[in-house]
Amino acid sequence: MRHLLTDQQMARHKEFKDFVALNVEPFAEAWDQEQKIPDHVVSMLASAGYLGSSLPPEYGGQGWDIVTLGLLNEAMGRGSSSLTGVLTVQAMVSMVLLKWGTEDQKGTWLPPLATGELIAAFALTESGAGSAIQSLATEFTWGPDRGSLILNGSKKWITCAQRAGVFLVFGKLEQRSMACLVPKGTPGLEVEPIRDLMGFRSAGLAQLTFKNVEIPSTNIVGKPGFAVSHVAPVGLQYGRISTACSGLGLLRGCFEESIAYAAVRKIADKTVGDIGMVRSLIARMGTDLEAGGYLCHNACHADDDHLPEVFEKTLMAKFFTSRAVVRAASDAVQIQGAAGCHASSPVSRYYRDAKIMEIIEGTTQIHEELLGKMFVDQARRLR
Amino acid sequence: MTSVNAGAEYGVKETVRRFILRSINVADLNDDDDLFESGLVNSLFAVQLMTFIEKTFAIEVGMEDLDIENFKSLNAAAAFVVRKNGAG
Repeated sequence: MRHLLTDQQMARHKEFKDFVALNVEPFAEAWDQEQKIPDHVVSMLASAGYLGSSLPPEYGGQGWDIVTLGLLNEAMGRGSSSLTGVLTVQAMVSMVLLKWGTEDQKGTWLPPLATGELIAAFALTESGAGSAIQSLATEFTWGPDRGSLILNGSKKWITCAQRAGVFLVFGKLEQRSMACLVPKGTPGLEVEPIRDLMGFRSAGLAQLTFKNVEIPSTNIVGKPGFAVSHVAPVGLQYGRISTACSGLGLLRGCFEESIAYAAVRKIADKTVGDIGMVRSLIARMGTDLEAGGYLCHNACHADDDHLPEVFEKTLMAKFFTSRAVVRAASDAVQIQGAAGCHASSPVSRYYRDAKIMEIIEGTTQIHEELLGKMFVDQARRLR
Repeated sequence: MTSVNAGAEYGVKETVRRFILRSINVADLNDDDDLFESGLVNSLFAVQLMTFIEKTFAIEVGMEDLDIENFKSLNAAAAFVVRKNGAG
């Protein structure tokens, strides 16, 4: 796949991988056990410009293309799936504001998001509305003279919410879907950390509760009635691209750990890699890695070219890599046997993190529903 | 409407029609058929249509353009593109 990258993209990918080898991989296990990423690590991401990678320079971002955003997430995903959560939600909120924000909103919010001075979270999921975003129960009502909004409801499983300084909250106003920025610390907003997840343990998930939270109406993003059809899909698009590429990085981790183990671990007079059944597992893993790389590049490239097909290409990339990494992580543990079941081997964490990839930014089943319908409709049109 | 605008609008309409017929499962589409009330489109269609219009006609759909009247039908989308191009 490297032949599809420009020299600059390859150089940046190397820089990202070097960053991860030095600052992420050696510590990811400890973060997982402590269920927290230290603040200084997020500060390092910010200093390196990674939190504003795709925002234009006029707002303080790097202006990197989406292929490069994908490479960044792939590299980070190799080290820590939880850490990519910060990159993912920051990109989701930033890109929504870039597309649908007013000039005032862009001028106010994008510069601190680009530098990482401000961390954002994408507050869409509710306990009763996960992938079915049309079923949101969180409710906005108008305040006095329509100068403000009153927000009531709750959100669950919100990535990075423990750390975020601002939330992009989705709900309904007079039965129309709406999105609104809600700063942390607004009276009536409670942030309750969610601990003890199976994987993604240091991604800082939290539950949000809104009790008569008053927000200025200038914080509305987009227009009432368009949050589900136009605002959320822009964020989810970047969420899926980031997750697909992060899953690809995790898949590379499974592959690299497996081949390294298979090459040196001896059983009697043979190495594990001499066993045909292990070679079969590694062959599937390596081929999935190659195929996933092409799908992710295809999706990122379609986004850079602003093609309408980008949405289905991204669905395919996320669908494929998230399922492939679940298989690969399971096989990576299997190859290492008991050693792979212990925290001293990174593949035990990969196994737990991999499953999360099939849940976040749309479950596998939602992807199958959308993609399956698309392929069947294409066949009908060809008749 | 001037004849120049009418001609431009017809060209835009046919281009958008071809895209929609490629994207959704219908045999034909009338100029005033409501795309969103018809139930024919999935949750991704609105942003796909918007991205197609932006890419094909070199315009940018912004917050101020978020109005269902701009996208609800072929006629609406064509008029929006012509208006937006004129404004640019």
